[in-house]
Amino acid sequence: MGSPPFFFKWASRLLPWFSPISFSILIIGLIWGVGFAPSDYKQGDVYRIIFVHVPSAILGQSIYLMMAIFGSICLIWRAKLAGMFLRSAAPLGASFTLIALISGAVWGKPTWGTWWVWDARLTSTLILFFLYVGIIGLYSSIDNKQKGDRAASLISVVGVIIVPIIKKSVDWWQTLHQPSTFSITSSPSMTSDMYFPLLICVIGFYFIFVSLLCNRLRVEILTRERNTTWVKEYLNNKV
Amino acid sequence: MNNTSTLFSWFRLILKRDLALSFKKIATFLIPLVFFLIVISLFPLALGTENSFLSSLSPGVIWVAALLASLLAVESIFNEDFRDGTLDHFLLSGEPIFILVFAKVFAHWLVTGVPLLLASLISTFFLFLPEGVVLPLLISLLIGTLLLSLLGALGSALTIGKTAILSAVIVLPLSIPILILGVAIITSAINNQDYLSYLYFLGAMLAVGIPGLCLATVEAISINYD
Repeated sequence: MGSPPFFFKWASRLLPWFSPISFSILIIGLIWGVGFAPSDYKQGDVYRIIFVHVPSAILGQSIYLMMAIFGSICLIWRAKLAGMFLRSAAPLGASFTLIALISGAVWGKPTWGTWWVWDARLTSTLILFFLYVGIIGLYSSIDNKQKGDRAASLISVVGVIIVPIIKKSVDWWQTLHQPSTFSITSSPSMTSDMYFPLLICVIGFYFIFVSLLCNRLRVEILTRERNTTWVKEYLNNKV
Repeated sequence: MNNTSTLFSWFRLILKRDLALSFKKIATFLIPLVFFLIVISLFPLALGTENSFLSSLSPGVIWVAALLASLLAVESIFNEDFRDGTLDHFLLSGEPIFILVFAKVFAHWLVTGVPLLLASLISTFFLFLPEGVVLPLLISLLIGTLLLSLLGALGSALTIGKTAILSAVIVLPLSIPILILGVAIITSAINNQDYLSYLYFLGAMLAVGIPGLCLATVEAISINYD
C-alpha cells in the first residue's frame, strides 16, 4: 500500500466510482439541510449555514491531526507516500479552515451582530489556519521534494503537540480578559430533523475530502515519478 | 565519565566561539535591544500618553515587543554557520548534534534574551509599570525568552538558507501560549493576584521544551544535511 505505483493504480480504479458517490452524498445532505430541514425557532433560516460551517470546521481540525499522523510516518519510516499525503492535504485543510472562518463570520453577522469575536474557539481556529499557512510556506520554499516533505512533517508533528497547549492557553486568555459574550460552545440540542442532514453533510465533506485528496495525490505521484518507467508506460497507454 | 566531559568541553567550546563572534560584532546583541525599545516607544506615540491607559496596556506591549525582537534575531542562529561552512564541519566531526543545538540556543539566549531583560527594566519607566511588578516581569521574561530562543532555533533550523520572515510565520503561531502566559503573569501581578500558577506552567513548558524542541531542531538540521 505504501508504494506510489500501487496506490496510483488503486486510486485510478476507485475514483470514477468514489467521486460521484461523495458528490451525491454531499448534495443530498445540503439539499436536505437547506431545503427541507425545519427552520430554527430563534434564528429562522439563518442557522442553515451550519450545514457548511460545522463540517468544514470538523475537517479543518481532523485534517491537521491526519497530517501529524502521516508526518510521523514520514519521519520514522521515510515513507514517500506519507510525505506526498502531507503535501496534498495541507492546502485542503487550509481551505476547509478558511471556509469555516468565513462561513462563521457570515453566520455571526446576523445572529451576533458582528463579523468577528475574539472568542476562544474562533481564535484557535484562526491560529490553526496560520499553522496550515506556515506548513504550506515551508514545503513550498524547499526545492528538494523529499526534504520539503520531512520538514513539513516535523513542523506538523511539533504543531500537533503544541496545539492542545495553544487551545488551553487561549481558553485561559479568554476567561482572563473578557467575560464570555457569546456561548458557542454549548450547542442547542437539536431535533433529529436537523441532526441527520448535518450528519450526512459531515460524511459528505469527509468523502469529498478523500476524493479530492486522492486526485491531488495522483497528480503528485505522476509529477514526482515522471522519470520512472511505469509512469512513462502509463502515459503512453493513455495517449 | 570521559564521554560526558568531552561533551561538556564541546558545549563550552561552541558557547565560547558564539559569544566571541557576537561580541566582535556589536550589532548582534545591540540591534535586538534597540529594536525592542523602538517598538515599545512606538506604542505611546500611536496610542496616546495617558499614564493609566499605558500601564494597563504595558504587559501586552512588552511581550509583543519581546516576541518580535527575539524572533527577528533568530536568523543568526544557524544561517551564518551554514553559509561559511562551520555547520558542515561540525556535522562531519561526528559529535552529537544535540550538543551543538543546545550550546547555540544558550548562546543566542545570552546574546539576545538577557539584554532584553535589561531593556524591559527601561520599558517599565516608559510604560509606567508599578514597581512591585518588576520581579514577576523579569522572571517571566527570563523563562519566556529562553523558550522563544528554543522555538526560534527550530524555526531557524527548518528554514536554513531561507528568509527570516518564513521562520517567523512558522514560529509565531506556536509561541502564542508563551505570550498569553507571560501577559497573564504580569497582569495578575499588577492586580495583586496570585501569578505563581502561571509561572509554574511557563516553567513546566520550559522543562518540556528544552529536550523536546532541541530534539526537533536536531531532526530539522539532519533533514537539511541528508
